[in-house]
Amino acid sequence: MTGALIRVELSKLVRSRRTWVTIALIDALPTLVALLLAWTDLGPRPGTGPAFLSAVLTDGTLFPLAALAIVLPLFLPIAVAITAGEAIAGEAQQGTLRYLLVRPVGRTRLLVAKLVAVMAFVVLTVLVVAVTAYVLGVLLLGNETVTATGPATSVSGSSMSTAELLGRTGLALGYAMLCMLCVAAIALFFSTVADSPLGAALGTLAILVASTLLITLDAANAVQPYLPTRYWLAFVDLFRDPILWRDVVRGVVLQGVYVVVFLGAGWANFTTKDVTD
Amino acid sequence: MIRTHGLTKAYGAITAVDGLDLDVREGDVYGFLGANGSGKTTTVRMLLGLVLATSGTAEVLGEEMPKAARHVLPQVGAMVEGPAAYDHLSGRRNLALVDASGPGGARSSRKARIAETLERVGLGHVDDRPVGAYSLGMRQRLGLASALLRRPRLLVLDEPTNGLDPQGIHEIRELLLELNREGTTVFLSSHLLAEIEQLCTRVGVLARGRLVVQAPLAELRGPTGRVAVHTPDVELGRSLLDGTLEEVVHDDDGPRLLVREPDPAALNARLVAAGVRVTALVPERRHLEDVVLEASQP
Amino acid sequence: MGDPPLCSVFEVTPFRRWCVVALGTLLLIGVPIGLRALPAAESDVSASALLERVRASQDAGWSGYVETEGTLQLPDADQFSDVGALFGEGTVLRAWWRDADHWRVDQLLLTGERDLIHDGGRTTAWDYERAEATVSRDPDIRLPRSADLVPPELARRFLDGVGDGDVSRLDARRVAGVSAPGLRIVPSSELSSIDHVDLWADPDTGVPLRVEVYAGSGKPAFTSTFEEFDGARPPAADVDFTATPSSDVEYDDVLDIADAANQYAPVRPPRTVAGLAKSESSDRAVGVYGEGLTQVIAIPLRDREADALRDQLAVTPGVERTDGTEDGPGRTLVTVGPLGVVLTGTEGEGGWLLAGTLNRDGLVRAADDVVRGFRYVGRG
Repeated sequence: MTGALIRVELSKLVRSRRTWVTIALIDALPTLVALLLAWTDLGPRPGTGPAFLSAVLTDGTLFPLAALAIVLPLFLPIAVAITAGEAIAGEAQQGTLRYLLVRPVGRTRLLVAKLVAVMAFVVLTVLVVAVTAYVLGVLLLGNETVTATGPATSVSGSSMSTAELLGRTGLALGYAMLCMLCVAAIALFFSTVADSPLGAALGTLAILVASTLLITLDAANAVQPYLPTRYWLAFVDLFRDPILWRDVVRGVVLQGVYVVVFLGAGWANFTTKDVTD
Repeated sequence: MIRTHGLTKAYGAITAVDGLDLDVREGDVYGFLGANGSGKTTTVRMLLGLVLATSGTAEVLGEEMPKAARHVLPQVGAMVEGPAAYDHLSGRRNLALVDASGPGGARSSRKARIAETLERVGLGHVDDRPVGAYSLGMRQRLGLASALLRRPRLLVLDEPTNGLDPQGIHEIRELLLELNREGTTVFLSSHLLAEIEQLCTRVGVLARGRLVVQAPLAELRGPTGRVAVHTPDVELGRSLLDGTLEEVVHDDDGPRLLVREPDPAALNARLVAAGVRVTALVPERRHLEDVVLEASQP
Repeated sequence: MGDPPLCSVFEVTPFRRWCVVALGTLLLIGVPIGLRALPAAESDVSASALLERVRASQDAGWSGYVETEGTLQLPDADQFSDVGALFGEGTVLRAWWRDADHWRVDQLLLTGERDLIHDGGRTTAWDYERAEATVSRDPDIRLPRSADLVPPELARRFLDGVGDGDVSRLDARRVAGVSAPGLRIVPSSELSSIDHVDLWADPDTGVPLRVEVYAGSGKPAFTSTFEEFDGARPPAADVDFTATPSSDVEYDDVLDIADAANQYAPVRPPRTVAGLAKSESSDRAVGVYGEGLTQVIAIPLRDREADALRDQLAVTPGVERTDGTEDGPGRTLVTVGPLGVVLTGTEGEGGWLLAGTLNRDGLVRAADDVVRGFRYVGRG
């Protein structure tokens, strides 16, 4: 029965034009960056710009990672916050929530189906970005001989075989998806609290912006390890040699805690609240 | 079918619904009447498990709500506070989503069921345009179709004829009566007296969160014990009926005498014998409106 | 009508539901905090025994993850900006140390890595974002680099010349999950600008796990600590570096400005300054004086280099400028925490750059001694 409900939610997602417009917009940014890089052949100065962006000038197969580093801090979380914020509050605003609940659809079950749909959106978006970036990277960027034949260079300067690069890229994409699951859980919680989807999305973004700001503040050192966005860019560590698991593992655990806490709060709130829209 | 005991919902200091004892029986077309803000919608939402009662119990189809929602709601069709649908999808697609998201109903027969239900509510001809392009009346019909899709034993409808033209109202009324004849119990909440009067067999009146009247419609509209005598010979009648005459009314319907008289036939004979010209003579019945207004006085 | 649903057996009220969530949250947050608050096991090792054990660990191999935190805002002059970053900011290092001649220290950056791989007399510096490996010989005299900041290396420098009388025991504390006994070192020389240095060492191997440098009481001016530590000698493969075909490899004869001055400047500094003897490693143009917590380096700069640095020093808060008089040469002096920097000479002149852990008076004396005592040598 939950399966049927998930199918319904996925079908709503796929049939919504906004889904595809959002994905296209997110994909547009790394595409633009690739075109500009190919046109000017100018990388960012060391220490500035997103990770891997200077490396793609020599090795185009790294562009999916640079694309990930471009969309992960801002674009992707905004899209996920809007999509997940829509989940309950959007149905409530449209008036369809009450009809779903009297159909009847169990409230817990609805929450699960919504989460699955949001994650499907995340997976789809990340894969579209990665594939587009790979194609662009191979076609437009990098030194052809390096891109086509040579082993890739790890962040630590050693060589990575194609299989290793693929495996690590897969891990990085999975890690980014997990970070977005955390955003989805927060937004889903706000979606059960707020009256409007916009309110839910803004609440989520407020948390993410505050977290990003505190990370740059030395005075907030003590709380930094607990901020949701603290370990988001740790996927770079997967490309060091040997892989530095420390921040990645912490990131996974931290995101897990956020997911459990916010989903729990969302569940407790949604299953006990009066639906009065 | 619906039975509540002391059903109460308080929002902070405000009590929206106060100690409600509803009794809706199988086969009823129950009219749930009340002004806007009287607590009708909150009551309907409590019956459907959308709003959790502060105290008291609600039984729907013999089981406690909202605990037994999973057993009860599949047998209930509902329309609460107007219809709602995904505007970018067609009506058919919307019904398919509603049907697929809950329990029961084979996937294979979904298309046929949807077509049949749309036919029933008068949307059989509808094309694949999105619901966003529907008129208010079409949306209302679609909402009704969504409620009827599962062939429910109990229909809970909140203002179902809202936004329909007179022809549409007539069609929906006929449809509800037909469903009722087929055995569906209908719980109809409305603020329109006329609608309730034309459709319902039993009536409950809600005022400021309390149930002030609950009785069969026939009983509420029972005779008052008076007879209205329409006659141009008012003075003659007055002198003749001294003692039983209670009131003389002059209005658009012409002058008439209101007489307390248990036997209208005998009265008529007396009047005619005395040479009073009677244009019409009717036993006076109570108006639902009066009953409601009287009961709703604070 | 069928089985009673589960919820009619266990009444699930909104309150209880929230309780479940709150309890879960508390557990998730409380357990790690509780684990971290575990007290460190105390050790009864004496100060001198611990000092001995730390000294003996200098040949030990280890690997780990190090975080350093510096509060020393050094003037940002071109040639010295890397040094400024090392002491003024936080760095995150990953290090594999087989022995003093074979090690690798990676400085981790958000968008890349800057690594030093040391193999015998050769050091390779790898910069990911430039895709560039620079190979150089390891000179006697050079500016500080990231590899100098790992706790064992810091401790090794500070412990030079320290005797039993200079050390006392500190309570053990938990460093990288190890209960590490602590040692406080107070400099014996009155010239030192360092108030004291605290270190905590691994009780098994004696390798220092955490070093804190204090300019006065209060917060440490510089801290370097292991967050993860492995006391086993890492395999040779971990300290190996082979450049990939897509990386540039360059060879550099001169490592930095100190190395360049040492090799090419036609001057020789005096044997002693401010009563501190010149170390054996400095036999050319650059002088290194003192040991342990009281050290100063004197580098001769040409006018172009000196002017640029002088301009930077001039805008540093707390700068002290003196014009040349009959009593002594002109100088620009800045002290940042325990670190003192003085540049002799005035606008348009070359001069001597002295930097070290001397207090103000010591630094002035040393500068005067260098200016009076250096001599020119013939080129060749």
